[in-house]
Amino acid sequence: MNEQVEPPQSEEIRIGVYVCHCGLNIAGSVDCTEVAKFASQLPNVVLAKDLRYTCSDQGQETIKQDIKEHKLNRVVVASCSPRLHEPTFRKACEEAGLNKYLFEMANIREHCSWVHLYNRREATEKAKELVKMAVMRVALLQPAIENEVPIKPEALVIGGGVAGIQAALDLADTGYNVYLVEKAPSIGGRMAQIDKTFPTMDCSICILAPKMSDVGRHPNIKLLTYSEILDVKGYIGNFKVRVLKKPRYVTEECTACGDCTKVCPMIAPNEFDAGLAVRHAIYTPFAQAVPSTYVIDRELCLNKENVVVCDKCVKACERQAINFEMKPEEIELEVGTIIVAIGADVFDPSTIPQYGYGRYSNVITSLEFERLINAGGPSGGKLIRPSDMEIPKTVAFIQCVGSRSERTGKPYCSNVCCMNTIKDALLIKEHWPETQIYVFYVDIRAFGKGFEDLYRRARKEGIIFIRGLPAKIIEDKKTHDLWLIGENTLQKELYKIRVELAVLSIGLEPRKETELIQKLLTLSRSPDGFFMEAHPKLRPVDAATGGIFFAGCAEAPKDIKDSVTQASAAAARAGILMAKGKVTVEALTPMWVPEKCKVCGLCVKVCPYNAIKLDEESKKIEIVEAACAGCGTCGAECPFGALVMRHFTDEQIFAQINAATEIDADKKIVAFCCNWCSYAGADFAGVSRMQYPENVRIIRTMCSGRVAPKFIERAFARGAAAVLVSGCHLGDCHYINANYQTKKRVERLWKKMEKAGLNKERLQLTWISAAEGEKFASKIREMQAIVKSVTPEEIENAKKVFEKALEP
Amino acid sequence: MPVRIWRKPLDLEKAKPPKGEIHIIKDRCKGCGYCIEYCPRKVLEESEEINKRGVHPPQVADESKCVVCGFCTAVCPDFAIFVTEKPCEGGC
Amino acid sequence: MRKTQSAVVEEALDVIADLEKLKDCFECGICTASCPVHELLNGYYNPRVLLEKLFLEKTAITNEDKLWLCAWCYDCYKRCPQGLKPPEIFHNVKSLAIKREITQPLKKALTKIMKEIPLPLTTLHLCFHPERAGIDKQLLESIVKEAYEKISSETPETNKHSDEKVAVIGSGPAGLALAYELAHKGYPVTIFEQLSEPGGMLRKCIPSFRFPREVLDTEINRLREMGVEIRTNVNVGESYEFQRFWNEGYRAIFVAAGAHKCRELRVEGAELEGVVHALEFLSKVNSGEPFNLGERVIVVGGGNVAVDAARTALKQGGREVTVLYRRSREEMPAIPWEVSEAEKEGVKFEFLAAPKRFLGENGKLKAMECIRTELGEPDKSGRRKPIPIEGSEFIKEIDTAILAIGESPDVSFLPKEVELNVDGTIWINPITMETTMKGVFAGGDVVTGPATVIEAILAGKRAANSIMKYLGGE
Repeated sequence: MNEQVEPPQSEEIRIGVYVCHCGLNIAGSVDCTEVAKFASQLPNVVLAKDLRYTCSDQGQETIKQDIKEHKLNRVVVASCSPRLHEPTFRKACEEAGLNKYLFEMANIREHCSWVHLYNRREATEKAKELVKMAVMRVALLQPAIENEVPIKPEALVIGGGVAGIQAALDLADTGYNVYLVEKAPSIGGRMAQIDKTFPTMDCSICILAPKMSDVGRHPNIKLLTYSEILDVKGYIGNFKVRVLKKPRYVTEECTACGDCTKVCPMIAPNEFDAGLAVRHAIYTPFAQAVPSTYVIDRELCLNKENVVVCDKCVKACERQAINFEMKPEEIELEVGTIIVAIGADVFDPSTIPQYGYGRYSNVITSLEFERLINAGGPSGGKLIRPSDMEIPKTVAFIQCVGSRSERTGKPYCSNVCCMNTIKDALLIKEHWPETQIYVFYVDIRAFGKGFEDLYRRARKEGIIFIRGLPAKIIEDKKTHDLWLIGENTLQKELYKIRVELAVLSIGLEPRKETELIQKLLTLSRSPDGFFMEAHPKLRPVDAATGGIFFAGCAEAPKDIKDSVTQASAAAARAGILMAKGKVTVEALTPMWVPEKCKVCGLCVKVCPYNAIKLDEESKKIEIVEAACAGCGTCGAECPFGALVMRHFTDEQIFAQINAATEIDADKKIVAFCCNWCSYAGADFAGVSRMQYPENVRIIRTMCSGRVAPKFIERAFARGAAAVLVSGCHLGDCHYINANYQTKKRVERLWKKMEKAGLNKERLQLTWISAAEGEKFASKIREMQAIVKSVTPEEIENAKKVFEKALEP
Repeated sequence: MPVRIWRKPLDLEKAKPPKGEIHIIKDRCKGCGYCIEYCPRKVLEESEEINKRGVHPPQVADESKCVVCGFCTAVCPDFAIFVTEKPCEGGC
Repeated sequence: MRKTQSAVVEEALDVIADLEKLKDCFECGICTASCPVHELLNGYYNPRVLLEKLFLEKTAITNEDKLWLCAWCYDCYKRCPQGLKPPEIFHNVKSLAIKREITQPLKKALTKIMKEIPLPLTTLHLCFHPERAGIDKQLLESIVKEAYEKISSETPETNKHSDEKVAVIGSGPAGLALAYELAHKGYPVTIFEQLSEPGGMLRKCIPSFRFPREVLDTEINRLREMGVEIRTNVNVGESYEFQRFWNEGYRAIFVAAGAHKCRELRVEGAELEGVVHALEFLSKVNSGEPFNLGERVIVVGGGNVAVDAARTALKQGGREVTVLYRRSREEMPAIPWEVSEAEKEGVKFEFLAAPKRFLGENGKLKAMECIRTELGEPDKSGRRKPIPIEGSEFIKEIDTAILAIGESPDVSFLPKEVELNVDGTIWINPITMETTMKGVFAGGDVVTGPATVIEAILAGKRAANSIMKYLGGE
């Protein structure tokens, strides 16, 4: 396995080029026929065609036939992003007997037609060059055979809310072992806190509790509550996860009788009740908790460290289940797939001073409302207002608090608040029909099945909907009633309405822990902070990182039904991998060339995965294929060219640079973009049709760590006006920390340029995530100033300084 | 943000933690200071006065903080301090 | 292809009004409900509708008189969920109108202001600022004069005269506005002013380069002509017992005593010579007293008073004037436009730093030790709380420190039936503006804490309506 399949040396290179119209997506701004004509004249190209939809069966069939008929041994498709259709075409090649590593794509849609919609001439010229770059590269590609990696048939689910519960149950029922890790003492999540669910008005805990106990007793589920993820290593199929299980100080002997709580002298607000009710230092968050085992909050408990000052609970416990000696436990798991279901936090409305939350006792959040109207809550289901414990006769709901607002940094719609408010309003009407209820909104979004019916019902019940949010809430000091002052924007009139209770319909935001989980699993996040899926339409539950899937609010705010649906989908996706039992990994690892190696050990130092071993005695380098992720930073570091990065060799990249700088180099930007973030960011700019100048030529590497200084030097030596190096944000690198090497190398080059009297502005380094299309587009726009300011003398100077880089 | 907790819980009145009444037998005290040192709620402090044994016995600094854990009684080598639970106000 | 004129206008608008961002607006109405002018003009001016017109009727927008009715208080911006700045958006359009020599809408707007807004000349200077649009100064003066004369020549409304006397405590903008409104409706009004001249903050603190005192005198004279009695040097609570109002037959009292008490800075050395309160400094300068500042001046605070003090200090000969604010620019309560004006004049701003102590020599200020701060979680006011960074202290050598860290009302003269809020302001019913004492109303800074002139004027007008209702007039 894994050895290079060398083509016969004498073999003649025969390239086929296919330029895709993609309907009008490409052909609308690029003259595809002209591009194909141009391609046909490039060296080694034996045929070039333009096709309407290359990805269609018909298109693929054409390629397959041509491979056979014309003995093609290299194929280039100029169409969309390789991130989208490279697998499709690679498969077609394989079916025609061509090694899939002999295929290359030119991205003339996301990186060309979509970002240069209005300049057909320039777009066509750019497309030609992109094809030329691909043709030059493809000629140098080598066939390879991929390694297979086994997939452990065990899964980890992070988060025990309804999404995590559903995903765990589905996987466990399929027959896989599942570890369900939950931070809180009990599973249940937000759904356990909610009173009723919309639009059916089912009791939330009544439908959740059976699922919770299913999890608790499922033979295939190992439930780890009160636990946190410490560290994740490895890759698809073989993740090694360290989990910290915090001590509960109560053993499984606990029967949840509650005798301990009765004697515990310490009390604090119960987080589960949003602080509206108290709990003791030894407690269970709620009656239906799973596991039902109690837990001791040592922060609150009188017993600190090793001194047991108060033993009332110990004495009260007949089963002797309390053990203050319990220690935190570190558990190591090995799993094949991971489902991230960490849920969402709620917005803190005290950052909007005009609503007085935190100052006015009768301004409450929608989450507090759920606890107040819940029969198991602090008021036994009686909706009371906090100031005087009376049942309010007028209630106002205020929508979009912390949603759809640039100011609070939450420009997105939180998806659930409209229906939640309608449900809450109807609940009040159900119990106290005389209550006057106002809903202040800007748009009511009742888009789901049965939602509109519920909205109509609310209107019929006499709930008053007023379009226009209050500008401020003023509290009547004596009665603690609230005055809401705003504009009824439909009537164009001011309203001043007095209510006894105001409910702020707060939005959802990413969990505080999102950042940590992102780092541990090297995931991407969208601009709103939630996790980003691999493809918004076609792979909505997959992470861009293999073997990881999303469920529930971790990916975006969503209601219970959608969370459950997504959880089942994620479980199915993870199940597919595990059922197959193996996955192939791309053949991107380096090859060692002993003749050139001076055994200096630099590569060993920069490898983020410790995948390179140096044997001092035998002066040999060993590459641990299974551990190598293929970032290529070793290849970039090696001063002697002793490590050849497969599929991203120096020669292949030089060929691309050469092709890109053949014409008008002094007006061009050569951009190196990493596959995971920056290239995807440029794709995102394309999908969003963000327009930017045509003079940029993107070269894709797996990681910005692959960008060797000699690539940049070559570009300048060939007369390029500017070079852009772009990678994932520091700390977000998909290869742990390889982009720190990028930073180091670019900084070194800057110094070199400065010393040589070159304008170092011509070399730009930027970090662009997959979601930052606009950042990519504006970077290219911004760099035009540099391109324009570069004088012919400066170009010549750089050519001279970097002359050496022209040597092969 | 995780939910910010700022309110007084609504059932705080009902949940009343036990209130202790501290009894110090001053002249038995030999001033070891264990009770002051170990009280988890910092209810006690050293007093100014000097007892029969010529030491400063403890005095109550803030009785409302006492939750009747009884540790002072347990650590006192001289049986000089004990706590009783105050009956509920309002006769509950 | 030659561009049509409307296309040119559209393009210009797109650039200067940042229409792209404007599309974030989903018309929640918060701007309109926050706008004092909207209420003052009974809904004639509606910023939300005006913003919408910006992209619905792009080409006609420069002809819109309502553009000129924005009073630059930024209350809309402070609450806008999208953080839009309507005053500056409108400003851009107004500038475009002036460039294209469209002045008719301005004339119309000025007539509206003269007719319906109490203290129109004052508000022109301190709130509406038509000059900011770049209009020729003389042209503007003539337009203003024309509008003012037109209104003055019109015979005042002959309202039924009432005998029910109303007393006003304080002759600042709120008190004057109320008197203006009630006098119009024929009520006998007496204003009681503690100082020797009426005007409140308008006279005492607003720098004369921003607001010529002749304008104020003109307006006060007009009030007197309308029959308003102004009694100066009356110290309510001392020389004039509160009870006396009822005894002398006043049926309603409007408390508009403003916020004149400077908050104290509790740091070491605050008693040194060279450490002054902003209000004290401003009132001295405004009354023409010489004030030796030295060369290096620091103003502590981030409100409008701080900015006014800094600009005045610069004009008083301060060579290096720096405003020190413990939060960031975003959190500054001062009007953003005034801040940028001050910056243009040469005032420096240092954000995220707070005074730690004052250092002196022989009782005289020499330097100030400051500490850097960072913003933490939101405090009770909803703004992020500044937290000092340990070890980040630095010393600034200065000659004068002006403290403008907030002003609060001094209402010790009020009977205890009038209840206060925790921050020392007067509690009122937000709709009727009545205090907890029957017949006693309050408004302006004494209720809100330091705020803008236009808000005080609105409070005066609101209270006037409410008092009329209370007296059975309407």
